[in-house]
Amino acid sequence: MKSDHARVVRTRVEFEGEITDELALIQGDDVEAWPEGAALEKVGRPTPRIDGASKVTGRARYTHDLRLPGMLHVRILRSPYARARVRRIDASQALALAGVRGVLHRFNAPKAAFRGEETIFRDEVRFVGDEVAAVAATSEEIAAQALRLITVDYEVLPHVVDLEEAMDDASPRIDEKGNVEEAAKHERGDVAGALREADVVVEATYRTSTQLHNSFETHGAVATWDGDLLTVHESTQHVFGVRQGLQAALRIPYGKIRVLCENMGGGFGSKGGVGKYTIIAALFARELGLPVRCVLDRGEENLAAGNRSATLQRVSVAVKGGRITALAHDSWSNAGQGRWVADPTGPTKGLYDVPNVRARSYKVMANTGSLSAFRAPGYVEGTFALEAAIDEAADRARIDPLELRRRHAAGEHDPMSGLRYSLKRLIDCYDIGAKEIGWSRRKPGGLRGSAPGTRRGLGMASQLWGGSGLPPAYAMVHLNPDGTAVARIGTQDIGTGTRTIIAQICAEELGIDVDAVRVEIGDTDSPYAPISAGSLTVSSIGPAVRLAARDAREQLLEIAAGIMEVPKTELRMQRGSIGARGALRSIAKVFEDLQNYTVIGRGARMPNPEDVSMKTFGAHFAEVEVDPRTGEVTVERVVAVHDIGRVIDPLTARSQVQGGVIQALGFALTEERHVDRATGRVLSTSLEIYKVPTVKDVPKIVVRFVDVPDTEANNIGAKGLGEPPIIPTAGAIANAVSNALGIRVRHLPLTPRRLLQLVAAAEAEGAGGRGAARPS
Amino acid sequence: MKPFAYARPATVAEASRLLGRGSPAIAGGTDLLGLMKGGIAVPERLVDLSGIEGLRGWSRERGAGLRIGALTPLVDLEEDDRLARSLPIVREALADAATLQLKGMGTIGGNLLQRNRCWYFRDEAFPCWLKGGIRCFAADGESHYHAVVGTDAGCNRVTPSDLAPALVAHDAQVRLASARGTRTVSVADLFTDPALHRREEHTIRPGEILTHVVVPEAGLQRRGTYRKAMDRKAWSFALVSVAAAARVREGRLRDVRIVLGSVAPIPWRALEAEQAVEGTTVDDAQARRASELVLRDAVPLKDNAYKIPLARELVRRALLRLAGA
Repeated sequence: MKSDHARVVRTRVEFEGEITDELALIQGDDVEAWPEGAALEKVGRPTPRIDGASKVTGRARYTHDLRLPGMLHVRILRSPYARARVRRIDASQALALAGVRGVLHRFNAPKAAFRGEETIFRDEVRFVGDEVAAVAATSEEIAAQALRLITVDYEVLPHVVDLEEAMDDASPRIDEKGNVEEAAKHERGDVAGALREADVVVEATYRTSTQLHNSFETHGAVATWDGDLLTVHESTQHVFGVRQGLQAALRIPYGKIRVLCENMGGGFGSKGGVGKYTIIAALFARELGLPVRCVLDRGEENLAAGNRSATLQRVSVAVKGGRITALAHDSWSNAGQGRWVADPTGPTKGLYDVPNVRARSYKVMANTGSLSAFRAPGYVEGTFALEAAIDEAADRARIDPLELRRRHAAGEHDPMSGLRYSLKRLIDCYDIGAKEIGWSRRKPGGLRGSAPGTRRGLGMASQLWGGSGLPPAYAMVHLNPDGTAVARIGTQDIGTGTRTIIAQICAEELGIDVDAVRVEIGDTDSPYAPISAGSLTVSSIGPAVRLAARDAREQLLEIAAGIMEVPKTELRMQRGSIGARGALRSIAKVFEDLQNYTVIGRGARMPNPEDVSMKTFGAHFAEVEVDPRTGEVTVERVVAVHDIGRVIDPLTARSQVQGGVIQALGFALTEERHVDRATGRVLSTSLEIYKVPTVKDVPKIVVRFVDVPDTEANNIGAKGLGEPPIIPTAGAIANAVSNALGIRVRHLPLTPRRLLQLVAAAEAEGAGGRGAARPS
Repeated sequence: MKPFAYARPATVAEASRLLGRGSPAIAGGTDLLGLMKGGIAVPERLVDLSGIEGLRGWSRERGAGLRIGALTPLVDLEEDDRLARSLPIVREALADAATLQLKGMGTIGGNLLQRNRCWYFRDEAFPCWLKGGIRCFAADGESHYHAVVGTDAGCNRVTPSDLAPALVAHDAQVRLASARGTRTVSVADLFTDPALHRREEHTIRPGEILTHVVVPEAGLQRRGTYRKAMDRKAWSFALVSVAAAARVREGRLRDVRIVLGSVAPIPWRALEAEQAVEGTTVDDAQARRASELVLRDAVPLKDNAYKIPLARELVRRALLRLAGA
């Protein structure tokens, strides 16, 4: 088959910890990956963000900045009850308010499918913050005022919001089948036997709290209709996902929908597709014939924009003869009203070579906002529990915790699939990190702190994640007569530096400067690219961009060979010039007689290789100082080492790791959604109470990469880095605090309140309190 | 937010006439605007005090103590080296308060008169006692940040101000002016005694304007120190704070004040601990013994028992700091 022809292939892909076989349409042929040590001029070089200046000077436009002529503003009326039936809505007073243009609610809104439901306004609202009605008005203030004029007759129903209460059979049932549903299970070997025969068994319960994304830019969309063409600007991680959601909701063809996202202020997994706010904006815009903006405020962002759910986890570790012989992990996640649930047992199943493993994970429904993907969903929570339990086991077995992990980290085959790893440098991560943090200083029981009464500790944890990317993804590269290029691909830059990476890869293949490449992304009128999530952007689109640039280059060289009367095989493109044997002529010069032309290069992401497991690995090491009398934890230093294949831009990679560590620091120490159980109202609806780390909380972060290309994975040898850096930090910090105090940390975030409770409980149980302190 | 009128009077007398129920004063607005956005304050009219001359800056005259204009931005107080020599505790208390932006807008008067941060109080959906309802939702709800002592009226709010305990420890006063005249009350008495069961956090009367904070000479003779525990390292209201001050001569502490923030609806004097160290030279053992007298009457709620050992530890450290240095 001529490979230029489009064809459908079946390929193994991993997304958010789940591996599936998918069909993908591809065309063209792949090229060999750049080998290790290849002399690359752009890729792998520290490259400042090509859009950095526009962002720091405020020129970059975000969805929030958009103001179109005549634009209306939407505010959403949200349920004040955790569970209620909407019996009647009277919006007449709201409609009578000057400036109000329309009100939508369940009794007048057109049908619009959303995530398996037929309408966006439910008859039974199921959490505080669920959408009840929406007002469009000439200003946000008028729309907000109008919300107060809508009267809703609710029949209040019994609810439950807390994870452990929802698991209790005595609590109200939200679903006829019960609130608890099995989500994943895995068993290998003989766990019961290994537990029975072990020298040491640790069995402990771990809890993590609900973490909210709180992106700088809240969720939002601006919709406008030009005849029957709908244009939506949205702060999203997937313009094509939004298009698909709008197509399903409004039943209009793809050709009549254009979704744009020029810049966005973060998503962290919560902006994976269309939102109810998008559909509301589109419905109002169609009905009223004006552009409509629907942007959530910070309070709504904390109520109804997704979360990393609270978990309850039980982990057992068996050790015999200095090795871990069994792991058992049961986990329950509060999915709220979410349909999907993450699997915290993923790391337990796949991180270490352990022969006997049992893992079960359950989804628990409750009357709270929906769980949504949040940067390494499940793995952040699960890695904390697993790595804390392994440290407990190591302490009990009197083995250095890093040494115990080493004994299970060198395997060359994925314990889940049995497949050989394409590349695994976890041991290298340990070596680099241990040296950098000074692991040899670690003592069981910790070290003296810098002030009287304070303690110091070291801890570490490992990271497992996918990130190998997937088809389909398509790129186009246009070459201009002067040797500049435009790369066009329907991906989006969610703040991770995607534009810069594309420019680097393009410039590398074309032998031109990074500055000579303009990158056009964030538009569904460009070739398809996948969601920017699951650490898959670079490894999905990068190879397609390389092929597109290469295609353009080959075409140009073909023509140049004719013009220059030199065999094509002798021609090279470098530094904006074409030449053979040292004689270089600028591209513009070579084609000066041609005046205008466009060379169009095309590239598609090729299928993933078969019979190989592609993962990212890493390890974080933390040094903490703890004041057991005030409950204050100070993270002094985090050493973050990652094995992600080839690093495309060391600058953006470093900031990616710093961001992950900081977000994990919040998960470990400060961030927690507080909910009033009696009413189901979220109490922490502002950034005053929902505490993300401040610059004073941030430790010194040392970032290191193994930086060996994974030449089997794809033609650029790179894997993803979006999620790996948030995965092991909390485990490393918890283990460092446990080391410092000799008290086990089993409940995050470790606020001063929880730490003081742990210290008090340990003192009540007698000296040391090792392993005795109960989490609260 | 409901539309409201706005007035910017030029004199205290004019402002006083404009102030009243539904007509609150606004200075920096760092608290009031949040209350308005949350629907907790729904003013008909805001009376902006910024046009009144003479309420900014500070002065110290021999014998008359220290006088600080109520509209002085917090950041000016924090950064003033001369003020830091006269009353070092102000800089110490402001160092971990809020953020630079908030301290740029916020004023010392507003800091003392800010309303409490209880998450039930600040959510308009909860008709709590302080807002005219019949009960405290924190009493059997989520009480991480709430009071452990002094909650006679059943309201479990705590004072959020960092400056209030510090100023109480130095026996500071406030001048309250109105069209009818001026009165002076201690900062301690600016806060409503919970035992009175009044649904007000402050004793300032309608029509009154807090014009100055005055620290008398006796208060300035004390050495003071401030300790604050937070659940992150910046931009957090205190979990517990402690201001301690005393005259220190030859190592002995006299006129000792130990004032706790964020444990009670008012800045809370630890009287037993004060007495225990009065006239003594404080050593490690004595600081510990005195600190154990702190909050002995406390009755914690479901989530806030941690505040008791935390307050004791901060008191212990504050006393050692006072006695040392």
